[in-house]
Amino acid sequence: MKKSLGTVAVAAAIALSLSACGGGSGSSAESAKGELSYWLWDANQLPAYQQCADDFQKANPDIKVKITQRGWDDYWSTLTNGFVGGTAPDVFTNHLGRYGELAANKQLLPIDDAVKKDNVDLSAYNEGLADLWVGQDGKRYGLPKDWDTIGLFYNKAMLSKAGVSEEEMKNLTWNPQDGGTYEKVIAHLTVDKNGKRGDEAGFDKNNVDVYGLGLNGGGDSSGQTEWSYLTNTTGWSHTDKNPWGTHYNYDDPKFQSSIDWFAGLVDKGYMPKLETTVGAAMADTFAAGKSAINAHGSWMIGQYTGYKGVEVGIAPTPVGPEGKRASMFNGLADSIWAGTKKKDAAIKWVEYLASAPCQDVVASKAVVFPALKASSEKAAEAFKAKGVDVTAFTEHVKNGTTFLYPITDNTAKVKGIMEPAMDAVVSGKKPASSLTEANNQVNDLFK
Amino acid sequence: MTTTTSRAPKPATTRRRRPFNTRRAGAWALLALAIAVSVVPFLWVLRTALSTNGSLASQSASLLPADFTLGAFMRVFGLQSPADAVAEGGSGAAIDFWLYLRNSIIFSSITTAGAVFFSAMAAYAFARLRWKGRNAVFSLFLGTMLVPPIFTALPNFLLIKNLDLLNTMLGMVLPYVFMTPFAIFFLRQFFLNMSREVEEAAMLDGAKHLRIFFQIVLPNAAAPLATLALLTFIGQWNEYFWPLLVGSQDDVRVLQVGLGVFKSQSPQGAPDWSGLMAATLVSALPVLILFAAFGKKIVNSIGFSGIK
Repeated sequence: MKKSLGTVAVAAAIALSLSACGGGSGSSAESAKGELSYWLWDANQLPAYQQCADDFQKANPDIKVKITQRGWDDYWSTLTNGFVGGTAPDVFTNHLGRYGELAANKQLLPIDDAVKKDNVDLSAYNEGLADLWVGQDGKRYGLPKDWDTIGLFYNKAMLSKAGVSEEEMKNLTWNPQDGGTYEKVIAHLTVDKNGKRGDEAGFDKNNVDVYGLGLNGGGDSSGQTEWSYLTNTTGWSHTDKNPWGTHYNYDDPKFQSSIDWFAGLVDKGYMPKLETTVGAAMADTFAAGKSAINAHGSWMIGQYTGYKGVEVGIAPTPVGPEGKRASMFNGLADSIWAGTKKKDAAIKWVEYLASAPCQDVVASKAVVFPALKASSEKAAEAFKAKGVDVTAFTEHVKNGTTFLYPITDNTAKVKGIMEPAMDAVVSGKKPASSLTEANNQVNDLFK
Repeated sequence: MTTTTSRAPKPATTRRRRPFNTRRAGAWALLALAIAVSVVPFLWVLRTALSTNGSLASQSASLLPADFTLGAFMRVFGLQSPADAVAEGGSGAAIDFWLYLRNSIIFSSITTAGAVFFSAMAAYAFARLRWKGRNAVFSLFLGTMLVPPIFTALPNFLLIKNLDLLNTMLGMVLPYVFMTPFAIFFLRQFFLNMSREVEEAAMLDGAKHLRIFFQIVLPNAAAPLATLALLTFIGQWNEYFWPLLVGSQDDVRVLQVGLGVFKSQSPQGAPDWSGLMAATLVSALPVLILFAAFGKKIVNSIGFSGIK
């Protein structure tokens, strides 16, 4: 509650700040010097980026980079406050779900000229990543830094106890009617307090000890880790086109039947109730042995493999009715604040962040997949050296089974409408057909 | 003989006490339960703070720290390198603990001192002075207690921004430093009960309101003032939203805001529980010390004003 009110306040503050912020930058000779502030939210990546900053400073002794890490919960509110108050960082990690609005509010510095002048090779990045950061106005607002896809983290001990082979896990199929082998495995991995499995007679769905599938939440508008890896195997997509679609498709029967199936897992006792997920991290409940499979993003690899005493395997998401897997393809980028006083230094730093020397450093830490193709492969090797097989994530990119994170205008408002609507469906209070009404509200935003 | 007679009543008294004792035992058990209910969470916080993050979830049932480590406390004090922190499953974020502590102390002290002093003046006016519309103004004041702080956050923020006071200590303390309706209400109730004779005697001696306020009312109200000061201080110490909005830069960021980095690192990521719990313990310490030092005074003053 507090958070959402804060977001509203901040959104209003941005709107009010529009007139206050200009892109005043000093002469280029001066602005290529001094201290740059750089913000990111993921503390796990801090060591990698600190090293990038150290290397960068060695090559550019006139520029100092000060990195500030801020938890995800406060990142966006403090950032937008910074825009209003004139204290925003010169460069910051940007998210696809947010940048459309930031660009529309003229808080981001277009970097087309610099990219052209410095001959940044945009084809070196993984397919599609660089295009994501071209705004509706045709200007480029960031250079890609990393990407993520979705995979199935599973508890190896639970699988072997249930007699499910890892080969089976790698070849799951799914459809919205009977759930395919995916539902069969989930049901079999679910165990009630008496030790009865979900597919056995006498299974007590009200006293479940281990859920077959973990639940992160209702998934609001994107369903990034919750349901989009399923809904988008039916040929459905969030919007009419992406990026910059103007029509959402939550009223599509293909989507609603998928969501009905998904919500049904809770009813069958295979997935925890939505209310039990509030305040708990899905990964932590997995490590506590409360769920056997968790669909989650590749940025969580470190978290899942970091738990002591839990052996984790990673399988690709199931193959859907159209004969293919699907995963949301999300990417982050570094953007420059329009109000920066050190424009040239900021551009240098952003280009460095997006270059091979820095992305290789990031790759070597085996935390996320860098945006550059070559660095991505190095990251996969670094993960392998750590004993983690990440092909479940990289396969999506290799086979082209990704779809892009839906980028549109009004994302905050769309989320505001879809979050309660999806929660109502996943908690079983309303049927998926109720999403048609929410979809109308969403599409009214674009009229 | 004398010894036996003197011994004889003793078993009698203990026999008489025995039924009394079971009741006592019941009372003690209840008390023990109440203490357990209020203390166990703190022990759990301590236990989590001393655990390694990566083992917390898998050893969630054990009462002892999971993989004992002081790493979380080192993280809080900024003594652990980000790489080590991440290896322990914690947040690689560093906080400048001593700087934030200093800011917290300054922020809480200024607002407490200001709010208590100005509220006392206002309460004096509401309780002891007679002026037109006094009760109407007071009702209006009380009414403002009903306005949720979130409603005033944005206007306040814009005001502070337009005054160019963002990221300054002045901007942080301004909304709190003059008064709070609760403080005025609290002190007014106390001032209303002060004897009018003393005040009248002082007036006969030629004292004006300013002198009465400083020399008679304030010294006599030391106990409620101390109570209010402590309550305000604790409230200000735990204040989060406003300092987050206004004081985002290091030199004014307060401890509570600084601790936010342990709360969440990435979307959907698990918080750094051990770091968060260690930080919570450390940040609660000053308040606990204050409470230990002044707790008795507060209980007395509340009892005092309650009886009257």
